[in-house]
Amino acid sequence: MMHRLLRCARLVLLLAAAPLMASAQTAPRPLVWGDTLPATLDPHAIFDVPSQFILLNVYDGLYRYQGNPPRLEPWLAESHTVSADGLTWEFTLRAGAKFHDGSEITAEDVVYSFRRLLAMRRAPAAAFTPVLTAEAVTAVNPRTVRFVLSRPYAPFLSALPLVAVVNQRVLAPHVAGDDWGSAWLAANSAGSGAYRVNATNYQPRVSLDLERFPDHFSGFAGNPRPIEAVRVRPVLETSTRVLALLRGEIDATDSYLPADQVERVDRNPTTRVARDESMRVFIIRMNNQRPPFDNHDVRLCLAHAFNYEGFNNVVLRGFVARNAGPNPNNLWGNPENLAPYAFDLARARTHCDRARAAGVDLSRPIEIHVQNELQQTTQAAQLFQSDLRRIGINLRIVPNTWPNITSATARAETTPDMWIHWVSTYFVDPENWIGQMYDSQFHGTWKASSWYTNPRVDTLLRAARESLSQEERQRLYAEATALVVADSPDIWVYNTVNLRGLSRRVSGYSFSPVGSGGEVRLMSLEN
Amino acid sequence: MALYILRRIALSIPALLGLILLTFVLSRVVPGDPAATLAGDAATPAQIAQIRAQYGLDRPILEQAVIHVRQVLSGDLGNSIFSGRPVAEEIWQRLPATLELTFVALFLATLFGIGLGLVAALDHNGPLDHLVRVVSVGGLAIASFWLAIMLQLQFSMEWNLLPLRGRLDVALGQVPRLTGFMLFDTLAAGRPDMFLDALRHLALPAFTLALPGLATIARFTRSGVLEVLQKDYVLYARAAGYGRFRLAAIYVLRNAVTVTVTQVGLLFGALVSGAVAVEAVFDWPGLGTYAVQAILSADYKALLAVTLVIGVVYAVVNVAVDVAQAVIDPRVADQ
Repeated sequence: MMHRLLRCARLVLLLAAAPLMASAQTAPRPLVWGDTLPATLDPHAIFDVPSQFILLNVYDGLYRYQGNPPRLEPWLAESHTVSADGLTWEFTLRAGAKFHDGSEITAEDVVYSFRRLLAMRRAPAAAFTPVLTAEAVTAVNPRTVRFVLSRPYAPFLSALPLVAVVNQRVLAPHVAGDDWGSAWLAANSAGSGAYRVNATNYQPRVSLDLERFPDHFSGFAGNPRPIEAVRVRPVLETSTRVLALLRGEIDATDSYLPADQVERVDRNPTTRVARDESMRVFIIRMNNQRPPFDNHDVRLCLAHAFNYEGFNNVVLRGFVARNAGPNPNNLWGNPENLAPYAFDLARARTHCDRARAAGVDLSRPIEIHVQNELQQTTQAAQLFQSDLRRIGINLRIVPNTWPNITSATARAETTPDMWIHWVSTYFVDPENWIGQMYDSQFHGTWKASSWYTNPRVDTLLRAARESLSQEERQRLYAEATALVVADSPDIWVYNTVNLRGLSRRVSGYSFSPVGSGGEVRLMSLEN
Repeated sequence: MALYILRRIALSIPALLGLILLTFVLSRVVPGDPAATLAGDAATPAQIAQIRAQYGLDRPILEQAVIHVRQVLSGDLGNSIFSGRPVAEEIWQRLPATLELTFVALFLATLFGIGLGLVAALDHNGPLDHLVRVVSVGGLAIASFWLAIMLQLQFSMEWNLLPLRGRLDVALGQVPRLTGFMLFDTLAAGRPDMFLDALRHLALPAFTLALPGLATIARFTRSGVLEVLQKDYVLYARAAGYGRFRLAAIYVLRNAVTVTVTQVGLLFGALVSGAVAVEAVFDWPGLGTYAVQAILSADYKALLAVTLVIGVVYAVVNVAVDVAQAVIDPRVADQ
């Protein structure tokens, strides 16, 4: 009876939907990108993982990361020189590169872009403000731009891809007071990238339509069938995102496909999962300035009490790679044969007992804050909770959100006992990980939220930041990493394998840890 | 009657003022620093402090509250802490999607709720009454997000009949925005194919949102009809030879739905605020998803504005319900 009713309902709906389904099938589908949109389209206002999609497709920078492992390649710049003291950098611009309005990109545009970035002092500026002032960026001639740093800063070149070059002529009429046109640029574009924004259809965090810019300087080399139109339609719920991919409503999910969905997406004849080792380290933080974490034995106890293999290989089904320290395994700057902490409850108990004998109070409940919307952080905390209970430590899981936790990390007193997060690739240099996580000058930022202090590590990291010799930097970072790992200020769990669900009609998808494979210029589409 | 309406409007003003203040205080005492969120992942403490000063977040909370009330009363909801755009503009973009979904859900809930309630009452303690009871208990008990996922699995994935998410198929392009109501805009643009597509996109979220309301309306209608059926005039009408359905449709239902009208009005407000879960699952770009994004990004300006808009909707609907009741039953206005 029930089956008959369901069959009847299906028939009625089929008849009602038939004309429309026919019309929808005839129209060619653009690329539908289901990843998250940033809060603003202004490339100088924010820098997070979603904003990299805008940076890579709508704008160009002087240099760009390509491939995996990421190679730093000349982009709007065709070459550069650096003075012997490491302070003066000169970049020669590629001839003939154009903005979307057809005007040529000049050194003055690069100068304007950096001055805008430094004046707005928003997130992407953080990498430059300690060493660069607005007056120190000048145009030597229409094709040469000069930067004079206040002190040597080795990661300068690595951080350059963070900065988009914007078209000052397009922006100028929309500048209101001292806002540098940010209100207008939040919903429009002034770039030169391979795709331009259709601002009429833009709805913040809901939809963004991009059309191909045929005059892009790259000429879409190596891609005979570039995609003409892109529709970015972020899907809020994970389950809906997966279903939408399976059904063909979107062509790509975000790059955090849950491990338990991988098999399902791969099994579907029209979809696949792109697996790429990234540079994104999963970390359980400890507030080293708050008892009991100010005790080395307690930190070692906790480092041995996390079931790395169970979490990585069973919960995450082996889609991640164990990471021994703060830098991703696949980055330079790690010491040779760096051994990861092993899950060993007997050793953990020994360290905890030693701490108790030294008078450390381990009886109070320890709070671990997880990011509510990111299931993995809760799974890791639950696994940790059950093992810690076996050695007499009471772990209390506190659901929270990223903004709440990161704002709490501004002071040691408000930083949680423990919390879980990832450190993604903002630029490819150990400075992005160990440099900004364990140099005490960064205390008060979320990256340095373990409040770790070791004067020797500070000295090594600062020397590595200023050295212009790659061999010396490698040696300094390796030594600093060995010291940090021995001190065990945090628990480093794995390096991410990015999992992005893709429609099989998408080809040419090329992953790079910077941008997580969101560069549409390289892709083609079968309709 | 005019005096009655004015009195109802005047009574809702202090409630709205209270709402503005209460939501402001609540949004500022919960943990979270919007300046840190706005500054982004790689910001330094100095950058965060600068943004805090720029948005006045470093001022005493009382001063911030006074500024906020003054701004809201002058129609300025401020700029989103996250996107930097005017919140009023963002809400204006999102509100029609939520209202369209709510109107359709309310229409479904009212139509089927009253129908089912009437049928149940006329078959008092019979099989249909029991069936309606199961439907209404189920409608109230089933969590919206679970129902939403089940409907997606059956109608979109299993049968491939209805779309899974969004308001319009991307292959059909965009329709020029006149009102933001997709059903209206597609017709105005002379695109019946898009109109049908918009209807298909509405089907699952509207049904999911309608179900609890449908259950409530069915229960109220049922008890209202049962009560009226006991009245003497119904007995006399039956004695005078009126047919069962004519009697029910013309005499009983009209007298029984006064309470239901109140419920329908209150439901409208509840549906607008209850759309959060449904919009999130179906990716419906309305106020609900906007609120979820605002919560996750600690965008207190956006949250305040969403709460205020929902509060205003409640207040307006309350006044409308009071007026409707007074029109149906003039004794209400005289009391």
